[in-house]
Amino acid sequence: MTRRGFLQKLIGVITGLSGLGFLGTVIGYLAPRREKGGRKILLSGDGSPIPAEKLKEVPYLVGLGIDGEPTIVVRYEGEMRAFSAVCTHLGCLVKWLPNKGEFFCPCHAGRFDANGVNIAGPPPSPLRRYRVYVTKDGLLGLEEIPT
Amino acid sequence: MKRWTQSFWDWIEERTGISRVVRGLLTEYYVPANLNVWYTMGSILLVCFVIQIITGILLLVYYVPQTSKAFESVKFITSTVPFGWFIRRMHAMTANLFVFVLFLHMLSTLFMGSYKKPREVQWITGLLLFALVLVEALSGYLLPWSQLSYWATTVATNSVGSIPLIGEKLVVWLRGTPKVSQYTLGRFFAMHVSFIPFTILVVIGIHLLFMRLTGISAPPGTDKSKVPKVPFYPHMVMKDLASIFVFLAVLMLLIFHYPQFAFPHDALIPANPLETPLHIKPEWYFLANYQTLKLVPNEFLGILVQLLAGLFLFFLPFIDRSPERRPLKRPLFTTLATLGVLAYIALAIWGHFS
Repeated sequence: MTRRGFLQKLIGVITGLSGLGFLGTVIGYLAPRREKGGRKILLSGDGSPIPAEKLKEVPYLVGLGIDGEPTIVVRYEGEMRAFSAVCTHLGCLVKWLPNKGEFFCPCHAGRFDANGVNIAGPPPSPLRRYRVYVTKDGLLGLEEIPT
Repeated sequence: MKRWTQSFWDWIEERTGISRVVRGLLTEYYVPANLNVWYTMGSILLVCFVIQIITGILLLVYYVPQTSKAFESVKFITSTVPFGWFIRRMHAMTANLFVFVLFLHMLSTLFMGSYKKPREVQWITGLLLFALVLVEALSGYLLPWSQLSYWATTVATNSVGSIPLIGEKLVVWLRGTPKVSQYTLGRFFAMHVSFIPFTILVVIGIHLLFMRLTGISAPPGTDKSKVPKVPFYPHMVMKDLASIFVFLAVLMLLIFHYPQFAFPHDALIPANPLETPLHIKPEWYFLANYQTLKLVPNEFLGILVQLLAGLFLFFLPFIDRSPERRPLKRPLFTTLATLGVLAYIALAIWGHFS
């Protein structure tokens, strides 16, 4: 290899490595953040806990659940049920239709039954379900159900 | 005054020979004399881009890209800043018309067969511009942090999740967090005000450069070599100006009389991440995509259908290689293209009323 050829290759390698280094920095800079709160109770949008009593006034409650997941709690057939409110189609939040006993997604008209199972429209899978209970402080406690 | 400007021009001319460049761009650049109104769409699009840059910079003066302040800052622009309402309406309405004129420009290119050899690069860069303008519109959508902003962005970014294997990770990368949040607003803000506009500017440059290198196509059915030529300035510039003023008249009509077209009800309510509004609909130019997603039972399939349609358009110049450009002389293509356009419009209308 000539000296000129060696220098050309060396410059190419140095430029390439510098570019890769910069790319790595950019990727690191833009890396997404995971927000793991570890909270096990239902919170309102401003972060305050939602008392379980409130579910007697309204047909359903939507708040932030485990790891900030929007969670819907309904009272159906005498028991409380909690599900992730995030539609499994494209991420809109479902609403509870108490008269029909169904969850309805307003974005693409997906429907889920009272057990969170997808029954109509484009959602590909059921809503994630949580165990819900009233804590000793009268708040709504949530627990993951192992799948 | 004239003498001073003349001396300044002469000073520049002596050093650079700039008048030769200007002549080459305007008075000594010849175009076919029979160019019709469809050939003026590009100029209207350039005007749209300039309006968006100017109004965008003005909006930046007061806009605050923070979830707790964005909606209020936009409200402040609209209701307190002198002429703020006008600047904002102009920005939002021009965004809509930008997409509309882009549709017209692409349709005329499609039906007149102007994408064919030697203009493949213009077609591809044009499609790229179309995609970039849609991304620009979508990223701008989030900035006011309204209900419409929040949920349109949630759905749009979630669509990426249907890509096998990497989809879920990509969604989080796009948003910066698992859910649409301050990090998403920051990313979209940076994309909207700098990365995408600069990219658009570069691609416009390539698009225009290739247009100059290959020359403007003559309307189909006419032999370009036999059509008389006229200088770009003043002949084509006058035609362009006529279309531009009609466009501006329509823009003003919409701004002053139909502002609700760009600002539906949900755009006037601050974002609530815990409530998706009922009957939420995307902008008119995403309605066909929205309805397709509703109709196709599998999310990945719904995205794939749209991706394939886009790829087909992208490779069109390499699929349709016949030199024939007259629409009536290529009935198969014209029928398929017409059906495609009608299906797109039908899906959009269906999406609107569904």
